[in-house]
Amino acid sequence: MDTSIGSEYDSLREEVRSFFAANQDAAVPAGPGFGGDASEVRRRVVKWQQRLVDAGYAGREIPQRYGGAGLEPDPLASLVIEEEFQSAGVSLGMENQGISMFVPTLLHFGREDQKQELIRPTIRGELIWCQGYSEPGSGSDLASLRTSAVLDGDEYVINGQKIWTSGAREADMMFALIRTEADAGKHGGISYMVLSMDTPGLDVRPLMTMTGDASFNEVFFTDVRVPATNVIGRPGQGWEVGTYTLRFERNMLGRSNATESYVAGCVEILRETGLIDSPVYRDRLLRLEGRVQAMKYHQLRLLTDRLKKRDSGAGGLIVKLNNCQLNYDVCALAIDAMAERGVLKRGSKHVRDYGNWQRNYMYALGLIIGGGTAQIQKNIIGERGLGLPREPKPAAA
Amino acid sequence: MDFGLTQPQELLRDSIARFLAQDVGIERVRRVMDSESGRDEAIHGQLGDQGITGLLIDMDLGGSELGMQEAAIAAQEIGRAAAPVNFHSSYVLAPLLIAGGDGGERRNDLLEGIAEGRTLVTPILDAPIENGRIDGSVLYLPDAAWADAFLLEDGGSLHLLDATTPGIEVEALQTVDDTRRVAEVTFSSVDLGAAESLGGNADSTRRALYAAQIALAADALGAAQKGLHIAVEYAKERKQFDRIIGSFQAVKHICAEVLAEVEPVQSLLWHTADVWDEGSDEIENFAPLLKAHATDVANQAVTMTTQVFGGIGFTHECDMHIFYKRAGYDRQMLGNPTALREQVAAVMYG
Repeated sequence: MDTSIGSEYDSLREEVRSFFAANQDAAVPAGPGFGGDASEVRRRVVKWQQRLVDAGYAGREIPQRYGGAGLEPDPLASLVIEEEFQSAGVSLGMENQGISMFVPTLLHFGREDQKQELIRPTIRGELIWCQGYSEPGSGSDLASLRTSAVLDGDEYVINGQKIWTSGAREADMMFALIRTEADAGKHGGISYMVLSMDTPGLDVRPLMTMTGDASFNEVFFTDVRVPATNVIGRPGQGWEVGTYTLRFERNMLGRSNATESYVAGCVEILRETGLIDSPVYRDRLLRLEGRVQAMKYHQLRLLTDRLKKRDSGAGGLIVKLNNCQLNYDVCALAIDAMAERGVLKRGSKHVRDYGNWQRNYMYALGLIIGGGTAQIQKNIIGERGLGLPREPKPAAA
Repeated sequence: MDFGLTQPQELLRDSIARFLAQDVGIERVRRVMDSESGRDEAIHGQLGDQGITGLLIDMDLGGSELGMQEAAIAAQEIGRAAAPVNFHSSYVLAPLLIAGGDGGERRNDLLEGIAEGRTLVTPILDAPIENGRIDGSVLYLPDAAWADAFLLEDGGSLHLLDATTPGIEVEALQTVDDTRRVAEVTFSSVDLGAAESLGGNADSTRRALYAAQIALAADALGAAQKGLHIAVEYAKERKQFDRIIGSFQAVKHICAEVLAEVEPVQSLLWHTADVWDEGSDEIENFAPLLKAHATDVANQAVTMTTQVFGGIGFTHECDMHIFYKRAGYDRQMLGNPTALREQVAAVMYG
């Protein structure tokens, strides 16, 4: 078995290391040890993102005319970069719905002028996106969505409501699924469009999540007018475009980059508290370690499938389910080990690591639910991976 | 980067699977299970003919001189078939221990015999040897009731003792997993002079033990995968409430959860076998961690997939219990998960 990456990548490794040396002033650390004032965090993250884009470590495969480095997709180069960032304990840059989900979708379905306008500021962290998919009556059954638009001259007029819209108040833009044809069937009448969050008639109301952040929102549309040219792909093609985006969501949410940093942080807490000598904690830690290592090598197997352009089958469908649960369990162990200190939250005197453990313990639960709940993931694994039959449709009343 | 089996390894897997399906089907396994002794006399020779007993033995001694990856492939298929053989002991631990010794002619004869499947050696790690005598009872020895010889290991030194040597008594024990049997061997102050020294060293003994742990993990994985497979097939056919039961999420999610846990174990197994083949010191952590994790996952898997069958899953007639017991045996032998995790923790965290 060849798990080497090849000496042709040695120079890339060197290049990444000299990049770290030259950019120490801006480097954002990965893992639980980074936090503090929100606007200062944001400023540092964007600054670091722009260094990464300029150096070609972010937006690596985005064509140069859209602001990226224009390199051919190379999973091994990406792996080398990830490894170097991980071992240096440095953040791989911004990962959000605009960069990770919207940009690849736009590259695939968008018009040239749309790509020219939107990609560069998005990958540089200057244009922040939110995703308008879920509605109060359309969660796991997304295609039942009812927010609708009618064409009036060269504009769509949108009415309806979206919910669970992460980051809607910070976002500059939204990509959304809107029903543009009432009688084209459940999946057929949907369009994928982009709109500015400044558009009159948009009303964003924060929903406080269990982490204490108001990162979720409800977004109300009252006669919101959007140019018809803002559709990505064809009108009525929205379901295809939108599910293309979701594939990237599964990948983004299932990433395990930070897992090993968090396990290391957890070991540090166990050492500090002396619990590293407790057989019970050692057993729990090693149980996690078994799962972490299994997923780590599983990713290499999936990477090999990608390199060979081979379908990973059921093995590829389990990543989001497993990694979200694993990240959650790592935080749970760390908080357990903190004992009563574990009750403190961000901002409190004596809180450890800016309260990141407590926040992530809850945020990871949000990720278990978000982007296709764990239960929906199990349906996908059972049906697409194991060939089990779908739930029959209920008989009409 | 090419993580996974090579094409020759995939061919080997397919050919072993084909042989086991044709010649060691579940009816034969059940006959052995139901027999008093639990012995399948013919299987050793057949495995020898297929080259399965000699995977880790040099070519000039009749083996195929392959590595742990190939031995793990065989172990996984053997687990999937629930074949009645202690592969991890008789064909992984024994030949690796012997090969690590320097017993000259005798070493080569033994390895040739194992490669052909006509010689069965049961290794005894940490044998009760003191002041030149072998004295005491050793428990839970795989295939010991029909072993030709015992290979006694003591501080890395190896001693071969013919099973017919006076002063040795072998008594079969009854195992939950009827596909593999163990015995108690009692030595009544046997003179060590009756045994042949085969040399040996602590390093190669440790590596042989890690290999046997990997083989048990692979066996458990094969059993878990087969259990999932037959449960999924059943869930696609069985109807209740006018529905195929696999369309109920309660059943579908059991299968999905098991798959999600089992698939990464395959990846960890491939990696660990590779670490062994590379001769890396990392095996000290990977082999016990793999065995702990794989056998835990496998036991949880068969616990859940048995339930897919409902009441029939609890019967002797349904094959599920064969894989359930198989995974249980793999979990207990050569270090249970809790003990192995502590062993790894001691290395990693002191």
